Amino acid sequence: MSDLRRVLRVARRIRIDRLANIRLKVMLPILLLFLPGLAWGFSDPNIVLPGGHQPDTAMEVLFYASLGVVFGATMCAVLMAFDGVSKDRASGMLEVQLAQPMPRAHQAAALIIGHAQAILLPVYALLLITVVVVNHRMDAWPSLTEMLVYAVSTGLIVLWYTLFALLASTTAREQGTAVAFGVGVWFFFTFLWALITSMVAYASGVSVGEANDPAWVALEGMLDLLSPNGVYHHLLETQLPTVDRGVAAWQSWLAALLWTVLPWWALHRRMERLVP
Amino acid sequence: MPMADPLLVFTDVEHRHRLPAPKPWKPWATRPGAGVHCVNLSLYSGCVLGLIGPNGAGKTTLLRMMAGVLPLQGGTVTGHIKTSTSGEVVDLRTWAGHMPEQVRWQGRSTVTETLHQLSEMRGQSSQRLDQLLTLVGLHDRADEPLDNLSQGMRQRLSIAAALLGSPRVLLLDEPFNGLDPVAAEAFAGLVRRLAEKGVSVVISSHMVTQLEGLIDRIALMHRGQLLDEGPLEEVERRLDLEGRYQLRGKGDLRSTKVLEELGNDVLSWEQDDETWTVILRGDHHNALKIGLDSGLEVMSWAPLRPNLVEWLCAATGMSFDDISLEVSSSAMLPLQTMEVNEDE
Repeated sequence: MSDLRRVLRVARRIRIDRLANIRLKVMLPILLLFLPGLAWGFSDPNIVLPGGHQPDTAMEVLFYASLGVVFGATMCAVLMAFDGVSKDRASGMLEVQLAQPMPRAHQAAALIIGHAQAILLPVYALLLITVVVVNHRMDAWPSLTEMLVYAVSTGLIVLWYTLFALLASTTAREQGTAVAFGVGVWFFFTFLWALITSMVAYASGVSVGEANDPAWVALEGMLDLLSPNGVYHHLLETQLPTVDRGVAAWQSWLAALLWTVLPWWALHRRMERLVP
Repeated sequence: MPMADPLLVFTDVEHRHRLPAPKPWKPWATRPGAGVHCVNLSLYSGCVLGLIGPNGAGKTTLLRMMAGVLPLQGGTVTGHIKTSTSGEVVDLRTWAGHMPEQVRWQGRSTVTETLHQLSEMRGQSSQRLDQLLTLVGLHDRADEPLDNLSQGMRQRLSIAAALLGSPRVLLLDEPFNGLDPVAAEAFAGLVRRLAEKGVSVVISSHMVTQLEGLIDRIALMHRGQLLDEGPLEEVERRLDLEGRYQLRGKGDLRSTKVLEELGNDVLSWEQDDETWTVILRGDHHNALKIGLDSGLEVMSWAPLRPNLVEWLCAATGMSFDDISLEVSSSAMLPLQTMEVNEDE
């Protein structure tokens, strides 16, 4: 059996186990409200957003509906993956797994892929419904490139939060700490990041929240590269020609690459040193 | 039993756990703690080795090192596949099947699915799973979810997991924990059958009596070090623990001349209201004759195997009181001075 096949087989087992998890069934209605639900609202022809803006393309609606991904899918990733290692560690099953002659780097890869797949399958299914909802309401489809970027970006942000949660799970000796760490990271990037941005802007002498101030827009754009949620929105903005926050597409993709590689490497390192 | 060439030879192997030692400028700092120090041990094909020692002696750490779960921080492992072929072992996990102490198998996966998953992790097909489940007595429970298994069934599943891939070395960490006497006897039978097939088995336990009649060799661990190792009788002889007998009977021992006649052969004796016990060494036929001729009722006369504390006392030279206190507090400090900077 080749190494890749072995990794995918183990990942498949993890995915099946996680898909049957009661937590996913709890999260599904929330995801349903967040993804197609938000798209339904934002594609209303009479909607007027703060600032008087009205989304008029399918991609713009998808962009606004991506709030559902940021709030719902990422939380789902944390809640599905926080006990990916700590649960098996507490039960002793981890020791049995580590005793199998499968390189730990491959075990880490299987964990990541299995968990990310378990979260992405329902998320992608709901995204398809979202696109259909947008078409039903606006009579417009997003282009193939827009769909591709949307799908890849969503896959990446879910992967990042899965990595954070798994990292917490390998570090924490018990599951309470793992979930606290995962939710803490989610809370920090989802809610507190705006505060960090404001503080940096204030310290730099930039007017906070002035959407027409190029200095604020540029600062916010650069700081967003340091947050997974910000990078996610930068990636989506590559498909919105009217939005320019001073960050080139290659910078966004480079940041996405770093947000993928660094936590993956950290998890790999943790797995190599993991003691049951 | 005659010993062939060893299958695996561990030379000066070492692993010390890292303990948190936070400092204001480095809160994640650690320092070396207890572990296993300079262990030399050989595993033989078809031989059952009993790894005994009190809680905290380092048995689990040593087994985890042997299983490839914990890395060796020092020392080497040499594997001998045939008499003529030997070489340093790169991945112990390909040699050993490991049964950790008390795995709480849980989840909705069935027994078969769990073993399938572990087989896939080994990169092997699952064709022999039926045979394996029959061997450990889980065939009727193959489709049972893990959550529904009893403690005994979980232990059986653990040994099935350890036997995946037909390992040459089987490492069992306190396997009798949680087993009822019937299951324990069946388990011992299984271990004997595996040894007959040429598997080298290592069983750790802090209960020496559980291993009686099962092990061929014994390794005595204390404070992370191997105090003695070898065939059971040989180690007993070395530690001056062989040839002890227990004579038990009814009546008043003090009213007879039994103790006088046995003389220096008596190691200790006890008298309860109705029964008496004498532990002695020497000519046991003569001792039995003296006991029977005294007119007292002799209830039993049997060889006496040392218990864990006696083994430790003999191997360390410490007194019964000192060693008992130490065992009860699970002392973890190494016996030898370790030339390692503890503040590293």
